[in-house]
Amino acid sequence: MGVDAFEIVINVVKLLVIFLMMIQAVPILVWVERRGSAFIQNRFGPNRVGPLGLLQLLADAVKFLFKEEFLPRKAVRFLYYAAPVMALVPGALALAAIPLGPPIEVSAFELFGQRWGPYVFKLQGYDIGVGIVFILGVSSLGAYGLLMAGWGSASKYSLLGALRASAQMISYELALGLSLVGILLVYGTFNFYEIIAQQQGPLSFSWFGREVVGPWWLPNWGVFYNPVGMILFAASTFAEANRLPFDLPEAEGELVAGFHTEYGGFKMLMFYIGEYGHMIVASSLLAIFYFGGYGIPGLPVEVLEAKIAAGTSLGPTGVSVLTSVVSHLALLVKLGLFLWIFIWVRWTLPRFRYDQLMDLGWKSMLPWALANVVVTAVWLLLANSK
Amino acid sequence: MLELADYTFYFLALVTLVGGIAVITAQNPIYSALWLALTMVSVAGVFVSLDAWFVAGVQLIVYAGAVMVLFVMVIMLFDLRRETNAFSRGMVSGFLKLASAGIFLGLIGGSIYNSAETVFAPPPAELEKTADATKALANTLFTKYIFSFEVIGVLLLVIAIGAVTLSRVQGGTHAKHD
Repeated sequence: MGVDAFEIVINVVKLLVIFLMMIQAVPILVWVERRGSAFIQNRFGPNRVGPLGLLQLLADAVKFLFKEEFLPRKAVRFLYYAAPVMALVPGALALAAIPLGPPIEVSAFELFGQRWGPYVFKLQGYDIGVGIVFILGVSSLGAYGLLMAGWGSASKYSLLGALRASAQMISYELALGLSLVGILLVYGTFNFYEIIAQQQGPLSFSWFGREVVGPWWLPNWGVFYNPVGMILFAASTFAEANRLPFDLPEAEGELVAGFHTEYGGFKMLMFYIGEYGHMIVASSLLAIFYFGGYGIPGLPVEVLEAKIAAGTSLGPTGVSVLTSVVSHLALLVKLGLFLWIFIWVRWTLPRFRYDQLMDLGWKSMLPWALANVVVTAVWLLLANSK
Repeated sequence: MLELADYTFYFLALVTLVGGIAVITAQNPIYSALWLALTMVSVAGVFVSLDAWFVAGVQLIVYAGAVMVLFVMVIMLFDLRRETNAFSRGMVSGFLKLASAGIFLGLIGGSIYNSAETVFAPPPAELEKTADATKALANTLFTKYIFSFEVIGVLLLVIAIGAVTLSRVQGGTHAKHD
């Protein structure tokens, strides 16, 4: 947790802030989703409450809080109440392990007549060396929330939704994990900070013993090394987050609302937060592995820090904080873009049929991901040989 | 004097044991499976407390995330009442249960006895951390134990093929209808 009171307080605050960030992003995303879908479908969407309908979020939150709370008659009480929490926790745990910016270096200072520091604060809830393995492990527990909801609410629609959800999650988890193996081979590490550090600067790689360097504006991003892996990863995250075109667990045309048919009010909101949390985690992973994380193209973190130090009259701590904030904003821009793509796809593509879903997962994406691993390994072996 | 790490271990051990006992005492197979999932998560926690992050992550992904989800799903699909009755009475099945419990105990005892040196030895002073530990694990697995690794791979393939074949024979779940 930390060596002294200051570090412990900051670390606890960090955990809370990251959790609240996820919670607070949800109403905004819901608004974007509703307005965006309305524009795509040539409607207006919620535009009455406040400017652009933005206060609709507040009204919805109040509605969710004050809705009548009920329990289906044959429901399993414990599972019914535990399921929304179980849906929310994996997303929150995974998000806390994602680096949101370069570490902040705080130099030593005096406070309350005592000497503190120096400290290095990472812009993430907790640093886990094997980052991606932890995140995949934790988010694979998300299936239990849906299963518990399906079984606990004692309804046929819920149960069918839960069964579909778990079958789909298991099928696409394989493609998800395997699609990342290719890019992990390229980086040779599990650590997010090292992965992002390797993507700074212009495109550069060794090709049969020769060093190739691209123009300065072309960043050294993973997507140029492993485009197939990127596409497979993005597609399987759609399935993992139960988004259209893979939203068979809650297919409203067939199953009412699938696993959360029997939920209302705040409990349903928690399922929503879990789903959007999965989307945020997936977008961050996409940014970290394939689009340079918090790096700005053409402007590596060290260069940015030097420019800020030259352009402002801040101390070393201030420069470090400002660098982190600017880099974090770069990550937020990328996240916003990917989240918009999530929403855009939802209102553009129709839903798969169930057998098509299974065929795509097992007969197309899994072989492609395996081939991607093999090709990447051979390519690395050849390109790095003299 | 107990330190924080000790409390963590005893808590995780308690959860593991309670979960394990609940797996075999729960009446409904769904709850058994959910308890087993809890047990596996807390075993992953024990791995974390030993700084074996990679093993903990894989434990979560493979056992808690994939295998147990599959179990829960299959249990939800089938009506297991008849099977439960068939297995909970009768002399033959009682004898089989006792025998398999005995064989399992013997297996565990034997493996502890045979690896007593490793199990009861004090931990190495310099424990390799996180990423290096993962690399070390891979190096050992793919050099020293490559043969057993491949054998287990072939064994799993045989199991998968066997399961598919069994489900396609007459009367199986995926039998061909003429």
